[in-house]
Amino acid sequence: MNINKADAKTEMEMDMTPMIDVVFLLIIFFMIITDLTQQDLEVLKLPVAHAATPDKPDPKLVRPVVNILDTGKMIVKQETKYDPENPDLAVMEAYLSDQARLMDRAHFNKEAGTGPLIPDNPLLIRADRNAPFKYVQKVMELCGKKGIEIWKLELAAAEPKEDEPEQ
Amino acid sequence: MSVLQDIATEEHKMEMTPMIDVTFLLLIFFLCTLKFKVLEGKLSAYLPKDVGVNSTEAEPREKVEIMIRVVTEGEKRDPVDPSKAYSGDGPFEYVGRVLRYSIGPQATQDIEVLTERLDRIFKLDKERPATVDPRQNTTYGDVVPVIDAAIAVGFRDITFVGSYE
Repeated sequence: MNINKADAKTEMEMDMTPMIDVVFLLIIFFMIITDLTQQDLEVLKLPVAHAATPDKPDPKLVRPVVNILDTGKMIVKQETKYDPENPDLAVMEAYLSDQARLMDRAHFNKEAGTGPLIPDNPLLIRADRNAPFKYVQKVMELCGKKGIEIWKLELAAAEPKEDEPEQ
Repeated sequence: MSVLQDIATEEHKMEMTPMIDVTFLLLIFFLCTLKFKVLEGKLSAYLPKDVGVNSTEAEPREKVEIMIRVVTEGEKRDPVDPSKAYSGDGPFEYVGRVLRYSIGPQATQDIEVLTERLDRIFKLDKERPATVDPRQNTTYGDVVPVIDAAIAVGFRDITFVGSYE
């Protein structure tokens, strides 16, 4: 009887602490991970493209992501940078020029190594399939401005097999 | 066993079970809400390089200009059930949308025909750049299939024409 009682007690005390530690660590890990992955990408319905190449961004590369909703609202990192109801592109322009400054640079004529240095990284545009193209053009227009000069673009699209069979 | 002794042993144990329950629930919650990054595709395109910087011009080469026009805008419908009318809020889907794609004087409303034509043009000169010129009221979803078709037949240098509204 006595031995049994002691056994039951020690078992209870032994196992719990490391397990709880691990579980807490897991929770903290998932909390951080969820924040990071959801930061850039808005929930959109992307158009389907068959020739699209899988997007595996290099985390070290500066690549701004601009989300455009079907209303024309531009969202960067969950922050609205442009709203068609209050059309002012200054915030967006400031953001793009900041990003352009962080990008790697290459000469205008890459092979010859001549010409002014311009940003050599792409900009990812993720627009809803019903987003009016004029808003995408507004972003492109900003990209061409002096001081930004981003010329590489990536247009996000869904791969066909991942889309519903209706398309 | 006396009551006092009973209390003493209970305190000694320290009830872990509810805490573990809660922690597991939290863990399951975060596991469920964790949205794995969906692997998305991308299409590469370029903007005219010499817009901002006035510099030496690139070797002039005749570009294939694909113009996209909206013939019929289509009706906004409910995305889940297209037979229902659009509620005016949230996502929607266009039904009966007609577009016209034209390269030079030739126009078509069929993306397949456009793809064939692009294929023929590409085979004549594999270095030729293409430009996309989306006109009024086109959406991102109208433009992407055209770029997709151009990339599929082999065009690598795709730019946009600035017919900004």
